[in-house]
This record gives sequence, structure tokens and C-alpha cells, in this order.
Amino acid sequence: MNELLCVTGLKRTFGARAAVEGIDMSIKEGRCVALLGPNGAGKTTTIRMLTGLLPPTSGTIKFRGEGMEDDFRRHIGYLPQAPVYYGWMSGRELLVHAGRLCGLSAAAAEARAAEMLERVGLSDAARRRVGGYSGGMKQRLGIAQALVHRPRLVIMDEPVSALDPIGRREVLALMRELKEETTVLFSTHVLHDAESVCDDVIIMADGRVAAAGAVEELRSRYRQPIIELRVEEDARSVAWADEMADGRRKLPHVDSAEHRDGSLRFAVDDLDAARIALMQELVREGVKAARLEAGFSTLEDLFLKVVEGRGNLARTRS
Amino acid sequence: MAIWLVLVRKEVVEALRSMKAVWLPLVFILLGAMQPITSYYMPEILKHAGNMPEGSIIQIPVPSAGEVLAQTLSQYGTLGLLIVALAFMGMISSEINSGTASFTLVKPVGRTSFFLSKWAAALLLVWLSFAAGFGASWYYTVLLIGAPDAGAVVQGFLLYGLWLSFVVTLTLLFSSLLRSPAGAAFASLGTAAVLAVASSLFPHAWQPGLLAGIAAEAVQAAANPKATAVVMITAAATALAAVLACLSMKRKALP
Amino acid sequence: MNQTANLDFSKLVMVLAPLFFIQFILLVIALVMLVRADATRGPKWMWALIIIFINIIGPVLFFVIGRRDRR
Repeated sequence: MNELLCVTGLKRTFGARAAVEGIDMSIKEGRCVALLGPNGAGKTTTIRMLTGLLPPTSGTIKFRGEGMEDDFRRHIGYLPQAPVYYGWMSGRELLVHAGRLCGLSAAAAEARAAEMLERVGLSDAARRRVGGYSGGMKQRLGIAQALVHRPRLVIMDEPVSALDPIGRREVLALMRELKEETTVLFSTHVLHDAESVCDDVIIMADGRVAAAGAVEELRSRYRQPIIELRVEEDARSVAWADEMADGRRKLPHVDSAEHRDGSLRFAVDDLDAARIALMQELVREGVKAARLEAGFSTLEDLFLKVVEGRGNLARTRS
Repeated sequence: MAIWLVLVRKEVVEALRSMKAVWLPLVFILLGAMQPITSYYMPEILKHAGNMPEGSIIQIPVPSAGEVLAQTLSQYGTLGLLIVALAFMGMISSEINSGTASFTLVKPVGRTSFFLSKWAAALLLVWLSFAAGFGASWYYTVLLIGAPDAGAVVQGFLLYGLWLSFVVTLTLLFSSLLRSPAGAAFASLGTAAVLAVASSLFPHAWQPGLLAGIAAEAVQAAANPKATAVVMITAAATALAAVLACLSMKRKALP
Repeated sequence: MNQTANLDFSKLVMVLAPLFFIQFILLVIALVMLVRADATRGPKWMWALIIIFINIIGPVLFFVIGRRDRR
């Protein structure tokens, strides 16, 4: 698969504050890539630099592939976080205008506009002024204007976060369709949205790339065996759990223990050995186990670790 | 070029839909036509005002046609400039603030094209309005007072049009530099006012502020030897303001 | 009006009629735009009064600062 976009050392500071602190990333043609991270991680700043709206402080953005040597903006479609369009135009006029700005002829722009309106379900509202559109309609119009010139890369900034559940489902469905046709990069702070649509994930935290790769690859790379233990509420068991959690009590093969959602969660290096050690400990100390579960960490654990650990995964990875 | 025409077309359609292309000429016509009418009827009105002391005889001569047109220009120099600055103060900044500029500029559209399309549309609208207004003033002057020298009127029109173009360009420059539309209007009117005051304080310093006075002399068929030089300087200053606006657009971070 | 009786009254009407007409058009356009506006700076009735009672300047003020675009 060809590399479509290659970013090296991209950095942007606003005054003294660095919003993006030198990131590298690459996007392959035909992939659907999620830029995942908590609010304030630098996702929007990165996207604004990719679209050419914001000049980077340093670093390079290279679009590759045939035909990309001229103005790269001809080949990208962009849906901003809060789309704003000329309220005095009708939906159809706006799409025709967008198409013509991308170099389509008047006739081609008209045809494409009609096609896109149909596709995003705005045909009935085509003659109405954009100023009177609802939020969901504006979002769909935004998707239509981003696709009107058949871009090779579609960039979407938080495409579903502002929508109600129904709008969310519609847009996610549209994105699934879209990724069959073109390369998609979208940002989100919701792991579930990223997992359900995309092939690759780039996790950002504090202006850095904390982890990147295909979803499956990340899942296996950061997979760690864990044991979850829920104990009864009696004084002895609770005291034991607290001692485990704050590290006063150690067990072989257990790297760390923490409270989460009312359970005690152990990160272990050898699942079988740790399980035996733990059960022996429970018997020895007279701790009443309510539930014990062994398994592997999920992407969500990785994401939470990145968000809470503030990007120190990048160091452990390399 | 093709993209630039698409942008200009959008500006023109917007001016028509927002009625700017209608009200601006109408206001300029009213401003222009009022001057010859007041000049013509003022002596009569004063005569019949009734608050004159008994027996006082005031002779107010009706001014000449050239003088009336010069007065029209001074109307445009105050109210006209104010309205022009207010009409175009948000042309760039409001698009940047709202995000519609970003919509346009993620497309393969040069930021220079973006500015030049707005500049062209603004100049077109201002010249159209000024032509309509000054034409109305000319018409009423001929009707009520007498025919001025046509060559002189056209010359004065062109000279004053250049001064208006300079102020419009300043407004767009400040609209690209400042976030606030009111700030852009204030800055461009302030610059125009400073230049105009400077022109009476330092009549020997050649600068665009002299142009309004030169145009007023021109309609009265009085040639000013400085005219050519001041025209060149104003045209150069206008072009410089446009170049600065393009540079400011190029360096801008858009939302 | 009898104060200006010795002015040529019909000429005055001829001269002023087009201007009144233009003022009227300006007023009507402003009122139509006001009614159709999505959002205005300040209440609509206030703008209606400004447009109707302040000659020329009223409509102009509405055009340049009265409208708030909903985009």
C-alpha cells in the first residue's frame, strides 16, 4: 500500500504553549485512520496544519502519490468541527460553489452537487437557505462539500461528537461507506467510534503521538495479561485489597495493582503463575473473593493509560 | 483566474442578496442629489426662515455649477467615506471570524485570489455607487443651476474615485489585519482623516490626502500642477495597501 | 407652506419627488430585510422605529450593523 501522507517533526506553538510538540505520522492510501486523544491533546491543531489553514511552527507535511505535486488541497476534503457556511446560499448553491472552487466546470459542479445532495439525504432541502438548516443537516452538508470534488483524502475533525445518537449513527454509517472509496482521517475523543470504523489508530496525548498502528496490531502489541478480583465488603478483605493497591503488599508475577470500578486489577507478567500465587495468597490471608477473572487488557486500557499517564507510553514503546 | 472569477461572482451575488448593491448606490444618489437642491433653495429658505431681524438684507448668491459639484464631493468626503467604511469593514474579518474563510481556503484557492476577489467586488460597487451619486448631482446641478464644464466634471469624478478607491483598499487592509470590523472602519477612517487634515496643514507634502482637494478644484476647472504626481502617489499607496493585505492574508492562521 | 409661496411650488415637487421615492424604496428594502432577518442586534421593533423615523441614516444603520448573519 502506498503512503499518501507523511508528516515529520510537525510542531506548533501558540505563544509559549506548545499545542503540538513535534509529531511524526504516516497515512497509507485506502486506510481509515482515527486520530484519537482526549480534549486538548492537539488533534484539532494537527488537523488545521494538515489542511493548510494553520502554518506549522516547524516540521514538514508531504502528500505523495501521483498527481499530488500540484496544490495538495485539490486532493483533500475537509469537514471542520463546527462547520460554518454562507447562510445566504442554498444548499445546492453552496455545493456548486465548493465544486467550482475545486476546479470543476459549471456543468460538472451542478451534476456532482445533485449527486452529493442525494447521497447525504438533503435533496428536499437543496433549495432552502443554509442559514435555516439544523445542526445535523449542516453536518451532512459539510460532508457533501468535503466530498464534492472526489478527494483522495478526507479529513474530518470530530465528525460525530456534536451529534445526537441518531445523527451519530447516520454519520458513522456514511463514514463506513466512505472508507471503501477513499482514504479517511478523522479525529475523535471516543475510543468506541475509532474502533468501530477505522483500520488504524493514532493516539495523541499532550501534543505527542503516544501510540500508532493498525487496531489489531496495537491490540496485540500492548496486550497485557490482567487479573480482576472483586472481594467481599468485610473489614479483613477490604484492608487486604487496600494494602495491595497501594503497594504495601507484593506478590510474585504481579507488576501492579489498582482499584478500578470496585474491583482490584492486577497487571501480571505470567497469567498462570500469577493466578496460582494470588489464589494461595487469598487462602493464606483469609480474603473472601467474590469474583475472579483473568484476561487481557483492551484498547480502552491502553487509551486510559495514555490519557492518565500523559503520553509516557511513547517512551516505553521505543 | 477561473477560480478568481468564481470568487468574484460569489461576492457579487452576495452583494445583491444582502441588498448592498442596491442600498449603497441609492444612498450615494441621495447624498449627491441633495447638494445642488440645498444650494439652490438655501437662499429662499433663509429668506423665509422668519427669524431674521426686521429689515436685514442678506444676499446669498446661488453658487456656480462647479462650486456645487465641489460641495458634493465634500459631502462624499465625510458621510460618503463613513458609509463606505461601514459597508466594507467586515468584508474579510467577519469571514475569518465566522469560519467561512476557512471553508474557501481549504479548497485549492490562493489567499491572494481570495483578497483580490473581495477587492475587485468592493471597488466595483464603490465606483458604481459613486458614478450613480455623482451623476445624480450633475443632473440636478444642470437642472437647477446651470451646466458645468463636462470635461472638468469627468476629471473631478475620476480623481475623487481614486481617493475613494484608496480608502476602500485601506478598509479591506484593516479588515484583514484586525479581528474587529468596527476597528477596521475606525482605523481606515482615522487614516483618511489624518491624511486629509495633513493636506491642509502641510499642502506641500505630497500624499493621497491632497487628492480630495485636487478633485474639488478639478470640477471647478482649476487645474492643479501637483495633480499628476499625487495621482501616481495615491495609486501606488493603494497598490501597496493591497499588497500588504495579501501578505497579511498569507501569514494568517485560520480557525 | 405659505412662507415659501413665492417659490415655484410645482417645480419643487418635481425636484424632490424622485428623492422621496428613493428614500421610500430604501425604507421598504430595510423593512423587508428586517422582517426576513434571522437575527438582529437588538430587538426588531427598535430597528423598525429607527428605519421608519430616521431618514436615510436609519436604513443605512440597519444595513451595516443591524443584521447578524446566521450562517
